[in-house]
Amino acid sequence: MVVLRAGLCPGLTEEMIQLLRAGGIRTVVDFVSSDLEDVAQKCSLSYKALVAVRRVLLAQFSAFPANGADLYEELKSSTAILPTGSPSLDQLLDSGLYTGEVTELMGAPGSGKTQVCLGIAASVSLGLKQHVLFLDSTAGFTASRLYQIFQGHTEDKEEQAALQRVQVVRVFDIYEMLRALQELRDGLSQQVLSSMGPLKVLVIDSVSAVIYPLLGGRQSEGLAIMMQLARELKTLAREFSLAVVVTNQVTRDSSSNAPLKPALGRSWSFVPSTRVLLESKEGSGERGGRQRLACLAKSARQPTGIQVELDIG
Amino acid sequence: MQRDVGSLPLAPALRARLVAAGFQTAQELLETGPCGLSKEIGISKEEALEALQVVRQECHGDAARTTGGSGTTRKCTALELLEEEQAQGFIITFCSALDNILGGGVQLRKITEICGAPGVGKTQLCMQLAVDVQIPECFGGVAGEAVFIDTEGSFMVDRVVDIATACVQHCQLIAEAHQEEDHLKAMESFSLESVLSHIYYFRCHDYVELLAQVYLLPDFLSEHSKVRLVVVDGIAFPFRHDFEDLSLRTRLLNGLAQQLIIIANDHKAAVVLTNQMTTRIGQSQSTLVPALGESWGHAATVRLIFHWDNSQRLATLYKSPSQKESTIPYHITPHGFRDVQAPAATQNAQGTEMNPRKRPRREEQEL
Repeated sequence: MVVLRAGLCPGLTEEMIQLLRAGGIRTVVDFVSSDLEDVAQKCSLSYKALVAVRRVLLAQFSAFPANGADLYEELKSSTAILPTGSPSLDQLLDSGLYTGEVTELMGAPGSGKTQVCLGIAASVSLGLKQHVLFLDSTAGFTASRLYQIFQGHTEDKEEQAALQRVQVVRVFDIYEMLRALQELRDGLSQQVLSSMGPLKVLVIDSVSAVIYPLLGGRQSEGLAIMMQLARELKTLAREFSLAVVVTNQVTRDSSSNAPLKPALGRSWSFVPSTRVLLESKEGSGERGGRQRLACLAKSARQPTGIQVELDIG
Repeated sequence: MQRDVGSLPLAPALRARLVAAGFQTAQELLETGPCGLSKEIGISKEEALEALQVVRQECHGDAARTTGGSGTTRKCTALELLEEEQAQGFIITFCSALDNILGGGVQLRKITEICGAPGVGKTQLCMQLAVDVQIPECFGGVAGEAVFIDTEGSFMVDRVVDIATACVQHCQLIAEAHQEEDHLKAMESFSLESVLSHIYYFRCHDYVELLAQVYLLPDFLSEHSKVRLVVVDGIAFPFRHDFEDLSLRTRLLNGLAQQLIIIANDHKAAVVLTNQMTTRIGQSQSTLVPALGESWGHAATVRLIFHWDNSQRLATLYKSPSQKESTIPYHITPHGFRDVQAPAATQNAQGTEMNPRKRPRREEQEL
């Protein structure tokens, strides 16, 4: 809802704006959707000037329609599929993480979300030699564990270089998280290489920890900020071709027998395009220990309900 | 800075007005200035000035932050984190099996949660940790001070005296055995009085006091910068009764958890919380699960569950970012938290040791 202001476009002067306001037109949308002949008569402005201003405003503020074939070509050239480091999870995700999309991992405490995130960071940083940005809001990122995963994968001395490619930012508040994302966006759009390098994966562990303190109660500001975050993530993923991985909690309805459902509610459920539920069950017979299962809960490409077994090394 | 107005930390009513007036980015706000702003959205000049102050701080605060603020820079590579972690110490528990499954002891900068049925030893471990955090560095400790926030009233000073005396004696023995310079010097300042004087005790009677205490803690910690452990004994107690609005409870608890993790990170301290257990009635059986609901389970970084197996106390590591799940037995002796040893143990003090055949519910030990 952009307000008409002098200087918004060449033909728009202060007196024009005052006259338009007197006629009841305050924003760009009002201007563009009104009948210009009426406006010219009511506000005694020249029709030609109004048409010129309208053309510029439309060019500035409207979205460009794109051809489906062009879109497909563009997607084919810009989307990459990144391996997650676990072949069974790759199979679940239709061969890996897609850039340009938001993928969500959800699970009960102790089900392995942070471990899977560390595995993804390890595989991208070591295998593909790309940079990873890890936004940690639960202090669950343990560098020694990441190091351990590296050591399990490779014998060379590449671990140091791989560790340097993983950048960690600890954010414990929603505003800090938004600020970190803004910095990332500024950094990427100015293409400041410095220590960032070619960033391909953004991991956020976890997004519900920063949003939960705002939800509930009777104010709806929490929802507004949550959707602000959602918009940031989706634009980042799309504009800069990043694969965004998010972890979420699960919660239960008040009755003690209700099944687990993902946290953050219905509004958030539209944000990720793929959702994976991680569970850990008591192991069966021969292996003892715990069995970790990943189940596909929402996907644009695969049928939901597929379950695979994960191996967290 | 092209920071969206919707993402700035302003009051919701103000934010709504700004968006309705058509402001989209922080840059536009700064350009308009306080007079223009107060005219456009109809607020007083002082409020406009305050709001712009906040915006300016947000946008330019990042620049100041990246050039090295006092420990609030939280951006680093994994390599730097690894070096930091390896240099960091652990708070040992004097029970080597428990230290092993925790990966060396209670880690700094993380929240550790201890859940268990009544009488299993949660408060004992908290008191043990409050003493152990003060062990000097030459003996392998962290040489820090402790903050003990008590909501249940289960902190017994006499018991802490017992535990501290045993700890000081233990270090004394090591110092005498090795006869090294720094050991002896450290022993001069490590005594019962110093241990007790470095445990800062707060008593909170309800959840409002607890929240207030936790929000005031950063100021306290900046004055007492040697604090390395914050214990909240009984985080479930104030929240479990008389709370009609459960969503408010979840909100408060999550806010509390985030505040604690900020404290843990900024002041390089370990936070230890104790939780109660509750019963979940399933279809055919009932199980004991930690209290405070599902969402609270995500608040702690490391979760330990203490439980009984006949007469043996067991500790299970249920959730940890770096260690595998495992279960170990432990013991509570007059000297504190210890490993389970063979029956011909040396820790008997006048026969008050746990009798493994009887269910150990002696008054002297359960406090």
